[in-house]
Amino acid sequence: MQHCLPEQLALAALREPLPDDDALHLAACDRCRGEVTSLRRAVDAVAVPELAEPGPAVEPPPSVWAAIAAATGTTVAPDSLTPEPVGAQVLPFRSRRRGLVLVAAAAVAGAVLGAGVTAVLRGGDATESVTAVALDPLNDEQASGRAEVVVREDGSRALQVDLEAPALDGEYYELWLIEPQVVDMVPLGVLRPGTQTFELPAGLDLGEYPVVDVSVEPIDGDPTHSGVSVARGQLDS
Amino acid sequence: MSGAVALRRPVLGSVVAVDQGSVRHSAANLDDVEVGRRFAAGDECALALAYERWAGQVHGMAVRAFGPGPDAEDVTQQTFIAAWTGRARFRPEASPLPAWLVGICRHKIADTWARRERQRREADAAMSQAQAAPVAGYGPGVDSVVADRVLVLDELDRLGQPQRGIIELAFFADLTHAQIAERTGLPLGTVKSHIRRTLERLRSRLEGDGAALPA
Repeated sequence: MQHCLPEQLALAALREPLPDDDALHLAACDRCRGEVTSLRRAVDAVAVPELAEPGPAVEPPPSVWAAIAAATGTTVAPDSLTPEPVGAQVLPFRSRRRGLVLVAAAAVAGAVLGAGVTAVLRGGDATESVTAVALDPLNDEQASGRAEVVVREDGSRALQVDLEAPALDGEYYELWLIEPQVVDMVPLGVLRPGTQTFELPAGLDLGEYPVVDVSVEPIDGDPTHSGVSVARGQLDS
Repeated sequence: MSGAVALRRPVLGSVVAVDQGSVRHSAANLDDVEVGRRFAAGDECALALAYERWAGQVHGMAVRAFGPGPDAEDVTQQTFIAAWTGRARFRPEASPLPAWLVGICRHKIADTWARRERQRREADAAMSQAQAAPVAGYGPGVDSVVADRVLVLDELDRLGQPQRGIIELAFFADLTHAQIAERTGLPLGTVKSHIRRTLERLRSRLEGDGAALPA
């Protein structure tokens, strides 16, 4: 009986299916099987999922670049790891939202959170304001305002927002409720300077998403947060 | 069977940056090939750009192997440091920079496994000594695979093109020889014979360096 060709045995070592004739022979031939086994040792060593082509990107924490810079003496830094020089404040996001973790804001954001005013309670109205918060400008942004959670008689809730901010050209403001880790968020809608009311989804736990955030969004069809926040406050629930 | 081989750039956030005065921003428009060339030439900006473009992929691999945390971070860090200090060995004309980084990352992952294995053996040896018992043997599997892995990755580095590209597509992108032929534009027979010769070469390396498998 004729043995399999060396090339076929190499493919078998890679676990490619062989033509029927070869497969039949291989099943019965110790010599060919021995050859496959010996060739397969290298395959089994490295053809493992951990070493496969890269899958989803995961952004390393900033300390990784810091260590690389220290070890290589590099003085330049990736743009993503340096603060945005002007204006817009950038939120840190998990990588599913963007390829790079934008760390610039982490420190500043912490300082801004908690700047909100305490809850205001008004009884007897058709609506009851349960909590209000000042929206403070981030960095030197011109945007600021106030957000107030109102509960209607039927139990539905809304967020009433007063925004003082310059009009935008080719971009728009968007309102978000964000969790304290600034990862998950609920978009409430397009916002313009002035007073507007946004419906709050029934069942949304404001304690879970206490950060009221105003972002500037480019008109690019991307529904995710641009990473550019101009004003923020944290609801006190 | 659909592993993409050409590394895609991670999607960078489109953060609106106004009035950027930085030199790096003009460099940000460089294409990947140019970043590779500058990296090889020792341009620090290229290191920063390479990190910006590909650290996510490298770290993604490290996290896939070790989960998030210090081990993965160490792998990512060591990958870029090794790439930079070893940039004289990078041939931009032979492989794209991201593929080279991924190759280094594989080494670092394998090295970490090997180090863990060593530590485990040492800890075990210490334990057995303390108990005045013979060192518990490991199944021949575990540590020999760990060692094989380091050797095979090392041997892959020594392969020229197109051999290396072909075998990497088979190993890491899980492509069949027919798919590799299609991907590379090389004739089927050429792909098959390269695969055969490379596997023989890897076998010699393993059997020469390590204990030969029983026939």
